[in-house]
Amino acid sequence: MNPDWLAYAPLMLRAAGLTLWLSWLAMLIGAVGGTGVALLRTSRFRLLRLAALVYTEFFRSVPILIVMFFCYFGVPLVFGFDVSSFAAATIALALHASSTMSEVVRAGIESVGRGQWEAAQAAGMDRVQVMRYIVGPQAIRVVLPPSVGVFITTLKESSLASIIGFIELTKTGLLVRESTDGGLVPLLALAALYFIINYAISLVGGRLERRFHIGSRSDLVGAMG
Amino acid sequence: MSPVLTLDGVVKRFGARTILDGISMTVSPGEIVCFVGPSGTGKSTLLRCVNGLEALQGGRINFEGRNVHENARSIADVRKRVGMIFQHFNLYPHLTALQNVMLAPVIVHKEPKALVEERARALFDKVRLSHRINAYPAQLSGGEQQRVAIARALAANPHLLMFDEPTSALDPETVGDVLAVMRDLALEGRTMLVVTHEIRFAVDVGTRMVFMDQGKIVEDSDPRDMLAHAKTERARQFLSSIRG
Amino acid sequence: MGYTFTLRTIYPYLGELAHAAALTLELSLLSIALSLIVGAGVAVLRRSRSRLLRALGTAYVEVMRNTPLLVILYIIYFAGPGMGVRLSSFAAAVIGLSLNSAGYMAEILRAGLIAVSTGQFEAADAQGFSRLQTFRYIIFPQVFRTIYAPLGNQIIAVILASSLASAVAVDEVTSWMQTTGSTSFRFFETFVVAAVVYLVLCQLVNLGRLALGRLLFRQGESAR
Repeated sequence: MNPDWLAYAPLMLRAAGLTLWLSWLAMLIGAVGGTGVALLRTSRFRLLRLAALVYTEFFRSVPILIVMFFCYFGVPLVFGFDVSSFAAATIALALHASSTMSEVVRAGIESVGRGQWEAAQAAGMDRVQVMRYIVGPQAIRVVLPPSVGVFITTLKESSLASIIGFIELTKTGLLVRESTDGGLVPLLALAALYFIINYAISLVGGRLERRFHIGSRSDLVGAMG
Repeated sequence: MSPVLTLDGVVKRFGARTILDGISMTVSPGEIVCFVGPSGTGKSTLLRCVNGLEALQGGRINFEGRNVHENARSIADVRKRVGMIFQHFNLYPHLTALQNVMLAPVIVHKEPKALVEERARALFDKVRLSHRINAYPAQLSGGEQQRVAIARALAANPHLLMFDEPTSALDPETVGDVLAVMRDLALEGRTMLVVTHEIRFAVDVGTRMVFMDQGKIVEDSDPRDMLAHAKTERARQFLSSIRG
Repeated sequence: MGYTFTLRTIYPYLGELAHAAALTLELSLLSIALSLIVGAGVAVLRRSRSRLLRALGTAYVEVMRNTPLLVILYIIYFAGPGMGVRLSSFAAAVIGLSLNSAGYMAEILRAGLIAVSTGQFEAADAQGFSRLQTFRYIIFPQVFRTIYAPLGNQIIAVILASSLASAVAVDEVTSWMQTTGSTSFRFFETFVVAAVVYLVLCQLVNLGRLALGRLLFRQGESAR
């Protein structure tokens, strides 16, 4: 009995879109948050620097799955309000993305030579202006390629949302598998879909790398998602 | 005296390009043969064919009567008796200078460690680097590294020493130190093949100068003679351009 | 706030935690070892002279880098019975974790190999070292120095990735957090405790790596 696999295709594709949306949202929040943390890391105040360091080290030493579990099961219990699986997944993904991004952004800021700061400040710009007009634009070119890697990692991690019941691509694949009497085809299709999406994104990242002549895939090590 | 080295119609190609186009020559014991010529004319490749770092497409090389490229065994034997000094030193960065010199005799030649250490220390005396035996390559200057490389090649008691542009990667100040060591070795009666741009050295120390161009030996004679009265136009042009 | 953080409430479950932590360690150590071996094989493939073998190696790395570990685990977990093999959860988790990590290990090893200049091989050849001797005395020590730090990071990554084994019914730490949390309703406490366990493991690896590094590597500062 061979089920009509093609009939499930639209379902899977829609789920893939949902996965992309989840990852994109988390990435956006993570990028903004990460930039904030990076700025804290380079702040003049020791306490802020320490806080940012603790934040980063924490999320790099703890599996994202337990953060997701806590967001979904723990927060409602502790704080009393309900958290949807989508919200929990987004928050957990964003928290992790932000800690990685803070390192990426920090490296980007530091990659802009001292001379740039000095020249801009000598011309009378204050710290905010220097960031906005001189250092920021230059740092972005260094930050962009590794950010693609972070996005790919976030996309892979989004599959964990299936465990807390959010019906994204992986969960959909599992459901299809259940309703077709369990087999490998839906799982392999899952793998293929993720692979195609991520590989395509990594090609874009490679293009960016070449265009800006710098950077390397930040998911080279760790972040196995 | 039977020759140390015989090259007979040696041909070497890289893909479609012919680097060595029928090289034939002999080297007798105690000769100091200096190879000169424009860059890319196969001088380094010639040296690398002698110890089997490069394979031949034609011709034959005999070292001390044996065909070098006969099989893997013959190549291994040749490498035990021929020492090579590279342009970029190629010292092993994770070992001290002393360890660099001692490694091959102990591991490849299987000589007892104590004996090798004694010999190594004597060699450091000879290259005037006894105070640096425990330094790592990263802590040594270019000239010091090259002298360690020479000691390393000498540690295996080679019958032939090959120098591939030994001073080309050095600061001018340290070139003299290395050439001085090479001069000492020549005076000891060693057989040496030297690829170099240092014509002064070739004239002062060399017993023979071989001018190569486009994969062929164009001229082969006493260095002083060639410098004063080169027989071919190309050699004359090259030597006068170097002088300038 | 109607919830007070009381660590005492999960004391009865700490025995199970010890067992779970042991499983996490077992999982991680086994997977690290296996992935190193497989990764080395893949790295060798990628440096092969055969274009087919190189492509195979590259394909392996790309698949592992772009496919979520969870999906890989599910595939192995559910594929077993299909192929007539009874795969335990633990075995499936180890295989999945190892195969995935091997992709990253291959890249780390490849970078280490590339960092060794070709002149090293030439000098070793010219001195008459055999292939094995060259690898053992000249190449491996240099590669090891290059890969040392990334290797440490990858070990930490595997420890964190082991948490996904909870999805295929392995009773490791993350699974403990879920189970204990749902029976005791003390999710905050179980989260903190689980987090501490992982934190400690990761920091131990970090500190161990630094300490070992200081012991092993004494190459001195550059003179220039």
